[in-house]
Amino acid sequence: MENTQRRLPPRQQRRRDFLVKTAGGVVAAGALSALPARLRAAESINIGGLYPVTGSFAQIGQGCVNAAKLAVQMVNDAGGIKSLGGAKLNLIISDLQSDTTVTRTETDRLISGYKPAAIHGCFASALTLIASEVAERAKVPLLTGSSSDQLNKGRHYTFTPFSRASQFALAQLQMSKLVSDKPKVAVVFENTAFGTSTSNGLREQAPGEGVEIVLFEPYSAGLTDAGPLINKVKASGANMLFPVSYLNDLILIIRAIKQGGLQIAINGGSGGFVIPDFYKNVGNAAEGLLGVAHWNHDINGDAQKVNAAYQKQYGEFLFEYAGGLVAQTFMIADALEQAASTDPQKVRDAIAALDVSQGYAAMCPGGRVKFGPDGKNIYAHPVGVQWQHGDLATVFPKDDARVPLLKS
Amino acid sequence: MIDTLAQAVVNGLLIGGIYALVSIGVTLIFGVVKIVNFAQGEFVMIGMYISFFLAARFGIDPLLSLFVSMPALFVVGVLVQHFLIRRVLALGDMPQIFLTFALSLLLVNVALLLFTADYRTVETPYSEVAIHLGAIYVPLAKLIAFGVAMALSGTLWVFLHSTDLGKAMRAAAQNRDVAMLMGINPDRVFAVAVGVALALAGAAGSLLMPFYPAYPMVGQVFVLMAFVAVVLGTLGNVTGALIASLMMGIAESLGIQFVGSDSGLIVVFLMLLLTLALRPSGLFGGWLR
Repeated sequence: MENTQRRLPPRQQRRRDFLVKTAGGVVAAGALSALPARLRAAESINIGGLYPVTGSFAQIGQGCVNAAKLAVQMVNDAGGIKSLGGAKLNLIISDLQSDTTVTRTETDRLISGYKPAAIHGCFASALTLIASEVAERAKVPLLTGSSSDQLNKGRHYTFTPFSRASQFALAQLQMSKLVSDKPKVAVVFENTAFGTSTSNGLREQAPGEGVEIVLFEPYSAGLTDAGPLINKVKASGANMLFPVSYLNDLILIIRAIKQGGLQIAINGGSGGFVIPDFYKNVGNAAEGLLGVAHWNHDINGDAQKVNAAYQKQYGEFLFEYAGGLVAQTFMIADALEQAASTDPQKVRDAIAALDVSQGYAAMCPGGRVKFGPDGKNIYAHPVGVQWQHGDLATVFPKDDARVPLLKS
Repeated sequence: MIDTLAQAVVNGLLIGGIYALVSIGVTLIFGVVKIVNFAQGEFVMIGMYISFFLAARFGIDPLLSLFVSMPALFVVGVLVQHFLIRRVLALGDMPQIFLTFALSLLLVNVALLLFTADYRTVETPYSEVAIHLGAIYVPLAKLIAFGVAMALSGTLWVFLHSTDLGKAMRAAAQNRDVAMLMGINPDRVFAVAVGVALALAGAAGSLLMPFYPAYPMVGQVFVLMAFVAVVLGTLGNVTGALIASLMMGIAESLGIQFVGSDSGLIVVFLMLLLTLALRPSGLFGGWLR
C-alpha cells in the first residue's frame, strides 16, 4: 500500500504530460471547427491574419486583431481594390494560441482552407519564424513586424517593412548616450528568439558605439521573482539597464528595481515596453522610461489619424505592432492593386516591386517602403520613445522627435 | 560577495514562502483525499482576482482581502469536493486526473473570458517599499507575505495536531478504511481538507497581489514549483512541503545568482532528480505530519 502510494507521482507526472498533449490536440481541433467557413462573396479577397489571441501573448494578439480589422475596414470603406473591380478585403483571423505547434497547423490550415492572397502576423518572433516557413513552402507572401533578423535569411515570400532587431540595438545604444556620457550597461534578456537576437545585436554593436556592457544575462521567461536578477544587476555596478522582456517579467523587474532602491536609467527597447498596458501596470514608475519601437502613433499625420480612430474605438493608443500592421494591410492592398490578381505568386512579385512614399502604406519611420532582395525595407529605421505623462512620445532620432527628451 | 549571497538567500526564502502556501494545499489534498489537484494554481489565480477587484473597486488592501478570499475559496473547496471530486473517488486514477486537469483548463479559459488576458496590478503604499539592513534590502510586501504564509502554515500544523477534526484528517490520510471503522465521516473530513487547501491557495493569491501581476495563466507559474516541492517534501507531508518549498526558493535564487539567470530552475530540478535517485520517497518520508 505504502509503496504504491510512493510510486504514484512520477506516473502521474507522465500522465500530465500526456494530458497536456492530448488537451492541446483537442483545443486545436476545437479551434478548427469553431471558425466557420465564411461565405465568401464572389468579389472579396481573402487575406490572412495570424495572431495569438489566447495563451501568453493573448493580450497583445487581441490588440493586433482589433487593428487588423480596423485596417481592412479602412481599405474597404475607401472602395476596396479598384483594379479588381472594387473587390473588398476579407480578413481571416487564425488564433495561434501562443504556441509554436499550433502555429504550424493553423498556418497550414489557413492557407489550404482559405487560399489567402497574402498573410500578415504573428507578433512574437518565435511564432512568425514558424509561420514564415510554412508560408514559404506554400508560396504565399507574409508581411510581418516581427524583428528577428532570421526572418530575412533564405526567404523569398517573407517581407519585413520595419526595422530589424539589429537596428533596434544600434538605436538603443545611441540613446543611452543621451542620458549618460559614460554608459555602463547591464543587459538582461529572456532566453527566447526575440530576447537572444535583440541582446546579441546589442552586444555586437556596443563597442562601436563606445558603450561598455558590464552584465550580459539571459533569464527564463516567466519569472516568479525578479529579485535575484536585480541583485545581479546591482552587483555589476551598471548605470543603465536594458531589459529585453515581455510585460509580465518587465513589471516584476521595474518593481524589484524600485524595491531595491537602485538608481539606474532604464531603456526597455521594444516588446512589452511600448504598449499602453505597460503604463497601466507600472503606473507613475513608468514616467521617463525609454524604449525603442519600429512604429509609433505620432510619427506622421496618417499615423495620428489612424491612432485617433483606434483610440475612439478601443480607448487606448494604437501600439507599435498594431499600428505597423495597419500599414502592412495597406501595403498588401497596394500590391493587390498593382498585381490586379489574387494569385499569391503575383501578389508576392508586386510586394517585392513596391515603392511607396505616401499614404497609409508609407506610414512608417523612414516614410518610404521598398523591399531589398532579403525582404527588408531598405528605408526602415527604429524610433526612440519615452513615457511622458502616460503617453508614448517619439524623442529619437532628431528628425523623428516630436517632443524633447525628458531628463530625470 | 557576502552581501550578494545574503541577499540571494533572503530573496529565495521570501518567494519560497509563497511556493509553500501552494504546495501545502496540494500535499494536503493528496495526503487526505489521495487525489492530485492540477487546478491548485488556478485557485491561486482566483484568490488574486478577488483581491484585485476588491482593491480596484472598493480600495480594500489586498492583505485585508485575505479575510474574503480565504473563506470564499474554502467554500469553493467544499463544493468542489462535494459535487466533483467525491463522484470520481471510487473510479481510480484516470478519471480523477482528468477531473482536476479539466477543472484547471476550464478555470483558465473562464478567467480569459471574464477578465481578458490583461495583466492587473495593485499599487499599495508598501508595494515598492523595502527595509534596508546594511547592503541588504527586504521588500516589505514580500516580507509580509512570507510572515503570513508562515503563520498560516503554523496554524494548519496546530490544527492537524490538536483538534479532533485535524486528527481525524491525519487518521484518514494514514488509513482511510480503518478511520471510517473508528467512526470518522470521510465526506466531512475530505470536504474540510479540500476547503482548507483551497483557502491556502486563496491566501497565496491575496498575498501575491501587492507585488505580482494577476492574469489568467498566473497559476501555472507557481503550480510547477509547488508540484516539485510536494514530491521533494514527500507526498502528503505538510511540514515536508513547507521545508522543501523554502529550500527550493533558496536553491532557485542561488542558482540565478551563481549559475545563471536562466539556470535557476536547473538547480531546483537537479535537487529533485538527486532526491528521487537517493531517497525516492522524498526528503522527509512518512504520512501527513
